[in-house]
Amino acid sequence: GVRFASTTASLKTETEVDTSENEVVAPNFTNRNPRNLEQMALARKERGWKTTWPKREFWHRLRLERTQHYVEAFVERSNGDVVVSASTREWAIKRHLYSPKGVAACRNLGRVMAQRCLEAGINFVNFKAIIPWEHRCDSIQEFEKAVKEGGVVLHEPRRIYQ
Amino acid sequence: MAAPLLSAALRGARGGRSFGTAAVLWKRAAPLGPMPNEDVDVGNLEELQRYRSFARYLRQAERAGREPRWWNTYRKHSEPPAEPQTDIGLPRERLSRAEELKERKRILRENRQNAEMERAARLRTVLIPLDEVRAEWERTSGPFHKQRVAKHCGVFRDLFKGATFTPWVALRVHYSQEDEHLVPVYYGNMVTPSEASSPPAVSYEADKGSLWTLLLTNPDGHLRDADSEYLHWLVTNIPGSDIKAGKEMCHYLPPFPAMGTGYHRFIFLLFKQHSPIDFSQDARPTPCYSLKMRTFSTFDFYRKHKDAMAPAGLAFFQCQWDSSVTSTFHQLLNMREPVFEFVRPPPYHPPQVKFPRHQPLRYLDRYRDTQEPTYGIY
Repeated sequence: GVRFASTTASLKTETEVDTSENEVVAPNFTNRNPRNLEQMALARKERGWKTTWPKREFWHRLRLERTQHYVEAFVERSNGDVVVSASTREWAIKRHLYSPKGVAACRNLGRVMAQRCLEAGINFVNFKAIIPWEHRCDSIQEFEKAVKEGGVVLHEPRRIYQ
Repeated sequence: MAAPLLSAALRGARGGRSFGTAAVLWKRAAPLGPMPNEDVDVGNLEELQRYRSFARYLRQAERAGREPRWWNTYRKHSEPPAEPQTDIGLPRERLSRAEELKERKRILRENRQNAEMERAARLRTVLIPLDEVRAEWERTSGPFHKQRVAKHCGVFRDLFKGATFTPWVALRVHYSQEDEHLVPVYYGNMVTPSEASSPPAVSYEADKGSLWTLLLTNPDGHLRDADSEYLHWLVTNIPGSDIKAGKEMCHYLPPFPAMGTGYHRFIFLLFKQHSPIDFSQDARPTPCYSLKMRTFSTFDFYRKHKDAMAPAGLAFFQCQWDSSVTSTFHQLLNMREPVFEFVRPPPYHPPQVKFPRHQPLRYLDRYRDTQEPTYGIY
């Protein structure tokens, strides 16, 4: 909830009949924007799940899925809803690649994913959901480098508790 | 193992005090659906297909975790069941799928026969042209992705009370600054109020002779009523894609998210009109700085004109307070600027128990009305 704290004085002295009702403001303000709290770093992260892996302590998570035939990247919330996705299955990306799997595909997918994340307003993303021994693979390293160079920060800010 | 637990539970029922085990043990009944791993043939474990890698197991486990289950899950408790959504957008124009597939297969075959592309992929030097990819994406899967992001930002829930549409028309909006710098508006990016102080340049593909309506609302910023929006810009009966030639029902007002309220969504909606519509009821006087006149509801506006127009384009940005908002409040709206501060909801404590188990002495502090801590006082 948001509480009315103070007002700052206006310099204009003349008042018009039209705008006289503007001054009436409700004391409690409700912001319906579901992204507001997480963008202000005040939203809750799911802190349980400490005995399993991967953990769900994030607002948005970047998940890379490499299958035999394609590479897909998803940015999703902790409840599983996909917000932004990019995949070499899409015609827009597939037509420019020689093979839809492999290191080159991962690197270009990272560039496209970074562009789409920034357009959607997702600047901070959690990239912890990679298996440690797979993290050393060339394709995942190239993907991570491409997403970082695209401008998305790969760790989320800490929640503001006080 | 079930028998002693069951008898203990029944003893609890006769004694009067509840034993506290799960409710399913009160009465033996058949499960309401298939038990997990029922399809595994336990007698023939050698024939079972193994995972052979952790990655395969993790992918299957995550997919299985997202499936709906017949037992109560946290997902069922926290998210309301998805209702069937009415589609209020334009009908989709499907071109011949067979022709499209043939063309795509031809291009892919050419790619695979191209030695240069193969060398670039092998040496990992290939860099695909991002602007061409984006142009093609806007034509093919862009509308679906934009609809998905808009759904997660609550656009359909707040503006149309749940009815969705797919934005087939790519709406390109950008604010131009003094130093020739362009600030584009995509689906959810951050724009500051000082960058958005003058009307933006809007462009979209339109046939000659078609009529459009452009609307800019702020569903989050209302200072009196949480369920209504503020209308920032309304241009109607636009011929083709020429915004200047349309009739401006409500002139552009720069965004004014109040300090302390966080991020507000500002949503551009493009409606395609089937015929010229009379918007005289929605006309605002030319210098309209009265917030009461700017109070608006997209749902009522659309319901009034829904026979003659359908939503076709969507673009929105997130906006936070900055110093130009103070001048908007003082000069344009002629009012004192409201300043809010965030109030945290009170921390949750379970109902108090007479004999708490494994709780520290500060357990009593949580339920006392006055602030008397039991530690740090000596």
